[in-house]
Amino acid sequence: MISLQNIEKVYRTNTVETLALNSISLDIAKGEFLSIMGPSGCGKSTLLNIMGLLDQPSKGAIKIADQKTDHLSDKQLANFRNQKLGFIFQSYHLINDLQVLDNVELPLLYRSGSAKERRKLATEALEKVGLANRIKHFPNQLSGGQKQRVAIARAIVGRPEIILADEPTGNLDSAMGNEIMDILMQLNQKDGTTIVMVTHDENMAHKTHRLVRLFDGSQVQ
Amino acid sequence: MFKHLFKLIWNKKKQNFLLMSEMLFSFLVLFAVFTLLVYYYNNYKKPMGFEYKNVWVVNYNNAYKATNTDSLTQFYETLRQNLKALPDVKEISFCSDNVPFSQNTWQGSVNYKGNPVGGVNQYTVEDSYKNTMTAELLEGRWFNKGDVAAKNRPIIISSDLKEKLFGNERAVGKLVGDGDQPGHDKNAMKIIGVIQGVKAKGDYAPAGYAVYHRTDTGSFHSLGKIMVQVTPGATAAFEARLYKTLANYMKDSNVEIEHLTSKRKDINYFTLVPMIVLLIVGGFLVINVALGLFGVLWYNINKRRGEIGLRRAVGATGNSVSSQLITESMILATLSLILGTFFAIQFPLLNVFDLPASIYIVAIFCSIGFIYVLVFLCSLYPGKQAAAIYPAVALHEE
Repeated sequence: MISLQNIEKVYRTNTVETLALNSISLDIAKGEFLSIMGPSGCGKSTLLNIMGLLDQPSKGAIKIADQKTDHLSDKQLANFRNQKLGFIFQSYHLINDLQVLDNVELPLLYRSGSAKERRKLATEALEKVGLANRIKHFPNQLSGGQKQRVAIARAIVGRPEIILADEPTGNLDSAMGNEIMDILMQLNQKDGTTIVMVTHDENMAHKTHRLVRLFDGSQVQ
Repeated sequence: MFKHLFKLIWNKKKQNFLLMSEMLFSFLVLFAVFTLLVYYYNNYKKPMGFEYKNVWVVNYNNAYKATNTDSLTQFYETLRQNLKALPDVKEISFCSDNVPFSQNTWQGSVNYKGNPVGGVNQYTVEDSYKNTMTAELLEGRWFNKGDVAAKNRPIIISSDLKEKLFGNERAVGKLVGDGDQPGHDKNAMKIIGVIQGVKAKGDYAPAGYAVYHRTDTGSFHSLGKIMVQVTPGATAAFEARLYKTLANYMKDSNVEIEHLTSKRKDINYFTLVPMIVLLIVGGFLVINVALGLFGVLWYNINKRRGEIGLRRAVGATGNSVSSQLITESMILATLSLILGTFFAIQFPLLNVFDLPASIYIVAIFCSIGFIYVLVFLCSLYPGKQAAAIYPAVALHEE
């Protein structure tokens, strides 16, 4: 599903050159639930951003769903992200000025489809994460766990094949973290969604199919 | 997407309030400036109503001590003959002090069937005035010697006054009163002609309402100006000769010769200076508003980097992010303009300042156009900057 070959990422300033990722090669199968672990600053999020086509590698090739992504234009990349990928972030990234339902509808705004259809899909996604009764709420009226569930609903509303989750339980207590993990596992098992999750939590990581460890930008496991 | 943006704007109404107020305030100031500009331009487009080139004004103070009216008339009739005998003089006409392009004004009222019209300029002129000033007669005739015996005092009115009093009806032959009370109707004056309105206060002022009265035998007591139409080639040497002739004849008077071309320039300058000052003040204000808008939009975009990163992640292109931010600004401008137009439209509805509604309407459209262009230009660069935000970086910052 996702194939990374010799991925390198170098951040350059006028005086300093930092190697964030060093020759990472990784193949993630369709329907796999993979977790990435490693100490802070080891390049986990950078790797996830590269997989999510939010960042470009300095070297190497990425193939997602059998499609090479090197030479895609900004418009093609945006369309690819919209159709194939769902994102979940540690800090939720909900728009506080929009109601829960409008937040979940957001990816659908960049596709064709009627408002009625968007509403239906968003409501279904919220039902899936158990927040159908909160559609009129604003994000600041929700708990951390609820916010993350809204973010998951937003990630799955477009029915992407891949979900990329950057420390989805990082801001939550263990009970809420487990709730979120259960939802992700259900999405993986029931819908066959491929999930790549960055985490610091060993317990969460061990619930996934495979664990990849990074250290100083290199894959160590 | 529009519905989504409206929702976003509505839910952020408190944050958007200041920005909208700024746009509203700019609209109102621009509306005032444009109203003035359109008003001046409309006046400028209209004909002057007479030919001012080659017309000189002789100012004199009536210092001749006549024992009776006849000798006074004789004195000035002789002067007329002397002046007309000069080679470059084509026509001359004695008239009241309120000549075109002077600061002198004499206003009164007229009423027709009990409906008074105020602010009517009153001019006392001779039969030769029309030819001296090359005034354009639109209806009826100019004064002649036969008017001495008229039952009702004959008057000639300007086209604007005719329109005000009678609309599209013919004015010649109608009787009007010379005051603002219905009782004044007994001093009825008969309209014998209508002339093209004369822009007596320069190119940028309206012609306004005017009534021309014919001089009578006693008029020389109150007249103080002579309009002299000269040939196009009249030189300074001729002006000196004219002055000498006048000064020698009216020994006790202070004589001064002015050209209507320079008087026009002076009075136009008098009108233009406040307009230029207003334009400069308005220009600075617009620059301030533009900088303010630019700053606020820039600040908003920096505050919304996380949101922009998220939109990019879920499928927005750089261009669509830029378009979204510009559209948001334009929607905010539209909301401000709806409110602003509501206030501005009261001016023609309530007939404030007695200006034609078309001036306000044009000014409203100009202001709306200006605000849209201003907001578009001010949001263009911040929008482009937003499009250049790197999603990975913006999402990481949050």
